Amino acid sequence: MPPVPPKRALPSKESSLFKEVLNQYETKQHKKGLKTADQILKKFPEHGETLCMKGLILTHMGRREEGLELVKKGVRLDLTSHIVWHVFGLIQKGEKNYEEALKSYTQALRWDKENLNILRDAAHLQTQLRHFDQLVETRHTLLRLRPNLRQNWIGLAVAYHLNGNAVEAKKVLEHYELTLKNVPDYDVEHSEVLLYHVRLLEEVEEFDEALSMLDVNAKSRAIIDRTAIMECRARILSKLKNTDEAEHSWQALIQQNPDNYDYYQGYFSNRGLDLYNITDDTHVKAMQILSDFSTQLPKAAAPRRLALEIAKGDEFKELIESYLLSGIERGIPSLFTDIKLLYKDAFKQETIQSVIESHREKLSSPAPPAPSSESEPPTTYLWTLYFLAQHYSFIGQHDKSLSLLETALSHTPTLPELFMFKARVLKRVGDPYGAARAMDEARLLDLQDRFLNTKTGKYRLRAGLEEEAQDVLGLFTKKDAPSPGADLEDMQSILFLTEDAACHRRNGNLGLALKRYHGLQKVFNEIEDDQYDFHGYSLRRFTINVYLSMIPWADRVRSHTAYVQAAIAASQIYVSLHDDPTLANKSSTANHLTGAEKKAKKKAQKAAAQKVREEAKKALAQTNSDDKGLEPGPQKDDDPDGASLLKATDPLNKAWTFLGPLANLDLKNVDVWLAIYDVSVRQKKFLQAVRALNHVKSLDPENPELHVRLVHLRHTVSSLPQPPPEPIGPVLSESLDKLLSPEVSLETYNSQYLQQHPTSGHAIFASAKVLRLLGATPAEEIDNTVFTMFNPDVQFGVDTGLDVVNFLKSIRSSRVEEFRAAADKKFELSTIFKSSTDIASLRHEAIATVEDAEKADGDKVEVIS
Amino acid sequence: MSTTSRSQPRVSFASLTPNNLGTVRKLNSVLFPIKYSEKFYQDVLLPQAEDFCKLVYFNDVPVGTICCRLETVDNKTRLYLMTMGVLAPYRSRGLGSKSLEHVIAAAANNPKLKIESMYLHVQVSNASAKSFYERHGFKEVAVQQDYYKKLIPHDAWILERSLTDQQADK
Repeated sequence: MPPVPPKRALPSKESSLFKEVLNQYETKQHKKGLKTADQILKKFPEHGETLCMKGLILTHMGRREEGLELVKKGVRLDLTSHIVWHVFGLIQKGEKNYEEALKSYTQALRWDKENLNILRDAAHLQTQLRHFDQLVETRHTLLRLRPNLRQNWIGLAVAYHLNGNAVEAKKVLEHYELTLKNVPDYDVEHSEVLLYHVRLLEEVEEFDEALSMLDVNAKSRAIIDRTAIMECRARILSKLKNTDEAEHSWQALIQQNPDNYDYYQGYFSNRGLDLYNITDDTHVKAMQILSDFSTQLPKAAAPRRLALEIAKGDEFKELIESYLLSGIERGIPSLFTDIKLLYKDAFKQETIQSVIESHREKLSSPAPPAPSSESEPPTTYLWTLYFLAQHYSFIGQHDKSLSLLETALSHTPTLPELFMFKARVLKRVGDPYGAARAMDEARLLDLQDRFLNTKTGKYRLRAGLEEEAQDVLGLFTKKDAPSPGADLEDMQSILFLTEDAACHRRNGNLGLALKRYHGLQKVFNEIEDDQYDFHGYSLRRFTINVYLSMIPWADRVRSHTAYVQAAIAASQIYVSLHDDPTLANKSSTANHLTGAEKKAKKKAQKAAAQKVREEAKKALAQTNSDDKGLEPGPQKDDDPDGASLLKATDPLNKAWTFLGPLANLDLKNVDVWLAIYDVSVRQKKFLQAVRALNHVKSLDPENPELHVRLVHLRHTVSSLPQPPPEPIGPVLSESLDKLLSPEVSLETYNSQYLQQHPTSGHAIFASAKVLRLLGATPAEEIDNTVFTMFNPDVQFGVDTGLDVVNFLKSIRSSRVEEFRAAADKKFELSTIFKSSTDIASLRHEAIATVEDAEKADGDKVEVIS
Repeated sequence: MSTTSRSQPRVSFASLTPNNLGTVRKLNSVLFPIKYSEKFYQDVLLPQAEDFCKLVYFNDVPVGTICCRLETVDNKTRLYLMTMGVLAPYRSRGLGSKSLEHVIAAAANNPKLKIESMYLHVQVSNASAKSFYERHGFKEVAVQQDYYKKLIPHDAWILERSLTDQQADK
């Protein structure tokens, strides 16, 4: 220890007072601690360590800002004290600022190298930040200081393992096991460690050792997880090419859980077959195996379902017939979802259609005069119709699907599945209002069904009915929450956040849309933060095996569809705000609210204010003992409409907070890379932009949106006042030339693209966008181009049509209405292209009520009271 | 599971709640030529009516209802069958009989209320309904004239069955 610097030294009285402060902090006597600290500070107002302790205590008591101020002051006054840095680190860690916290901890360790608490916290921070090199060092130090603590050994092994050094990890475990004495029987923690050891041996391909370790410890009952033993054993035996014994093990696993596909895969690969890639040579063998399992295990679905994957020709026809008919007879609602994956094979699709169609014919032919309990139950016919409706909608024959559903509904109008699927078909054909209504009709049949309720909420959001969606969602949220939406956000409802954001965006309320997308971003931040506790917990409780699976999962958690969609949408909004900042004013929320909505909003705000007051009262009542902890409490929502998000001065940076984490995940999603391009090119990060386009090109070289971006990039780069400096400039132009030959003019390139894709509506739209981008074309020509989308052989979907309408609006085309009307004609079943007055009444009708349900009764003459 | 050795269809009953009332409304709207008032829907939810108001399920799909109300006059309690119906495709499978027997059994075995009898109205044109109830021990006790104000014919039979006399069951 270096000598105590004079500034820190306190006379003996104050010195013992300081020890008291530390003690009082440890025992959470915050008020007393504060008093004692003040006693010291009266005489030594510049004493850094005391200032920091006082700041820490104040933070715990809820006086965060004041506390932080003192801590910072304390650090400045005594830069060589480990205490001040430790305190600073604790506060930063509480704010989830892990990078900065680790820096403070590193400083603290400079002045006190062997402080166990600081070392342990530093290890957790290093794991959270994935600084595995440093982690190994820290864990080494901890083990050296406390070799008798079991978790320190495991900690070091895990650190090596995370750092990619399984061999060292294995050595650590070997040492560790030598130090153990008197392990009690059936010890779960020891069992976990041994399984981990086996896993490490497997990883470094010492299969013999792994097997003998597994067998010895399974026999002595030191490993107690029977399923894990069996799975491990089967896997290792297969790797050892001990085929017979391995087959036996896989078979035992299948007997135990006949619906686990992994076991079948293991069994097959042990026999030299790839279950998911059966060739003509292996076909007979594979079918035989599955047929044997089907006979052995009459109740298992997996072998039957797997056989459908592999079977061909008549063999398939026979199997699918009994599979489908038995499913329909049992009334399995998910039957279609189960088998639709087979539709990628055209033959199988046709076979399924003909099997079910002939079944329907058989059932719908006039029934025998006196049906008895022996004849086919009517529900079989019902489920047949339901299956067929799903089939036809899946292959794009939505009108046929709807008419089948009508037949089914007149047969049995009380099955919610029929309404739900009707809603889905209407959604697919571009009628969100009819869809919301059909879903609502399903909900009215069974109000306690939470699934139906949530679906209705979602469909209402799809129809732009935000308030009405909250009405139904509110039926299942906490009654004392400020609003259903607030409770759903609190519960991290990803479905609500995504759909509500998209709803606001469609309604033109960009501020609230952004607010919800940031809410979703926060959910994923929280999931990442939640890992932190496990870096300590899992070692303490020896739950190492799941922990090691959790770490790579957390690394990729943002590849979740919901996050990806939110990131794309939010960045698109920010890009449009960057391109046209006046959008922020246009989309101010107040304009969009009707009288009722305003009233509802006021009510919600009042309720929220009331809640805050109550909470404050509650807090006041508890102040005596309350420890607020180091994490900042829930923040006051001072931007309920997201207005300040709209006015952000750095929209592109905001967009990048969404996209940045995705850039390194190597996602196979074209839209992600397009979004990354759109933001990067505007940030003038040209290399990043061109790399994004390279990704798109490798995924989908003819993508219409890629076409637009290629022209955009060339156009942007050539209109720069001067080319980017070395080395960026040359690399950029070389990469760009590879994507888009510099010899052709952009105009020619565009018309060539159009000629190559004459039947793709999206491609025509893309070339119109390029015309607009290049700026030389008169407006009429752009209009004429998009109208060629209505040529008879051109195909496009409802979504593309909607995009075109919005595009025409944005360039103030005079033919928006004409396009809308033409699209309305083209998409017969859709309502999304109706005029705004029609849509207003459709929105009104999208809510089903009890009275509506009885409108059908209106012509009934007799009323019984 | 093969198609020849079919398992028996499942028939079950569920009590009415505010949550499944939508299903009852839907069934009433397709089953009967009559519109029922809000009072009807309030009455079927009364706690004392629980045993006598049911949804009928066939293979877990709601396909019918049976709704009665209790009437007490001069200390005598009778059960009045307001509605009973099964969706057309599910008829002739004994669902109506099972529902009626279910309610009759519940009424006869009710320890608290002494329910003396059960009665109902049948339009005089509906002979098959009449014979159905007669098979279940009901007897014509009167004809009520002009019971239906707007349906033709206007008259209705009143059918009644004793619930105290155990012999009547057999």
